[in-house]
Amino acid sequence: MHIDWWTLGLQTINAVILIWILARFLFRPVARMLDERQAVTQAALDAAEAAQQGADRARATAEAEAEALNAAHAARLAEARDAAAREKSRLMAETEAALEKARDAAEAELAGLRRAQQGELRDKAGTLALEIAERLLSRLPDPLPLSGFIDGLAEAVAELPEATRTELGRTGPIGLRAAAEPTEAEREALKSRLGTVLGRPVEIDVTTDPGLIAGLELDASTAMVRNNLRADLERIKAELSDE
Amino acid sequence: MDNPLTLDPLFQLGPVPITAPVLVTWGLIVLIGGGAYFATRHLTLRPGKIQTLLELFVTTIDGQLRDTLNRDPAPYRALIGTVFLFVLLANWCSLIPGIEPPTAHIETDAALALVVFAATLGYGVATRGLRGYLATFAEPSWVMIPLNIIEQITRTFSLIVRLFGNIMSGVFVVGIVLSLAGLFVPIPLMALELLTGAVQAYIFAVLATVFIGAAVGERPKRNLSSQEVSKP
Repeated sequence: MHIDWWTLGLQTINAVILIWILARFLFRPVARMLDERQAVTQAALDAAEAAQQGADRARATAEAEAEALNAAHAARLAEARDAAAREKSRLMAETEAALEKARDAAEAELAGLRRAQQGELRDKAGTLALEIAERLLSRLPDPLPLSGFIDGLAEAVAELPEATRTELGRTGPIGLRAAAEPTEAEREALKSRLGTVLGRPVEIDVTTDPGLIAGLELDASTAMVRNNLRADLERIKAELSDE
Repeated sequence: MDNPLTLDPLFQLGPVPITAPVLVTWGLIVLIGGGAYFATRHLTLRPGKIQTLLELFVTTIDGQLRDTLNRDPAPYRALIGTVFLFVLLANWCSLIPGIEPPTAHIETDAALALVVFAATLGYGVATRGLRGYLATFAEPSWVMIPLNIIEQITRTFSLIVRLFGNIMSGVFVVGIVLSLAGLFVPIPLMALELLTGAVQAYIFAVLATVFIGAAVGERPKRNLSSQEVSKP
């Protein structure tokens, strides 16, 4: 076996040269490109991570804002409910007050109507009572004697003012109306009682008025003294109407 | 056929005889170097098919170095990658009619082994220092110094003889079968030579890596990802 040392030397040089060439034109550029891509990828990952963190922060902020909005919404809703409840209560109170007022007014009006109806009924009842009394008294065989009304008339004249009493019968006979023609004794009794009350002798002028039913009525220019059943019935009617 | 154990100069360059392995090696240098130059002129972040292939090749070499050395593969990438690529293409030269693989001659294998041996010494001294590297010959005991020195020589010889024997025998067998049987009969053997050439290139590169790893020493294992930043 023979070894060609020239070939060995040249092949060694060739191997070294090839190593240098490939290191220069193959391995270094490719490795550099791999490193560059790795750096770019890492930068992209870092940017993506930063973007992710930013998105997380934005999402957290949005969630916080949403919670705040929900809380504000709930507060406003509760406030609106309270206001609505207050308004409802106020409207209910106002409505109840208005209803109460309307009810009171209706009751007052009803009471007035009832009173008016009662007054009307009393008037009718009084009128009916007067008619009944007049009819009943007219069925009496003899009219009621005037003697029973003379004392009452004298007492009423005695209660008149002094000036009125002084004027009675001064210029002429005192005018009297009677339900029936008085008897002579009744005329004398009238003169006597009125003279006693007035303190002087008086003359009387008696006219008949069946409308009085029974009793007497003194009719002067400044005063009227009534002591008859007609006056009593009218007074009773007036009292019933006043009730 | 010619005797594979002898070399006849094709021509003379002054006093230097130029033989066929040298001429084929020059052709391979032009082919590989020119191809690398043109392929890496326009590297981009979005790789094309050729760039993807180159990046796959480089990352595969880096992965092998990282797994074997537990170190940053950058200082060793050019040597191991070049040895693997050259031996592979040189072995496959046998497929071209009329061309013999340079690795079928012992001078080429010896030259490669010498480069690996020199690189082993250089990386060992650079990593451990001269005294530290020489001290490794006395491990585990000074008694082992002669044996360690002999081991350095014998394993380099084994590197030479293994590659030379495999490739030379393949070429020799294909030549004998071709001369005896006919044109298409050696095709299965040539296909086998493809596999043998790839395996031998891989073995040569892995053994070179192991020798360098033994010279630079073991490093505590750590998690080296395939994307570890490395300086070319």
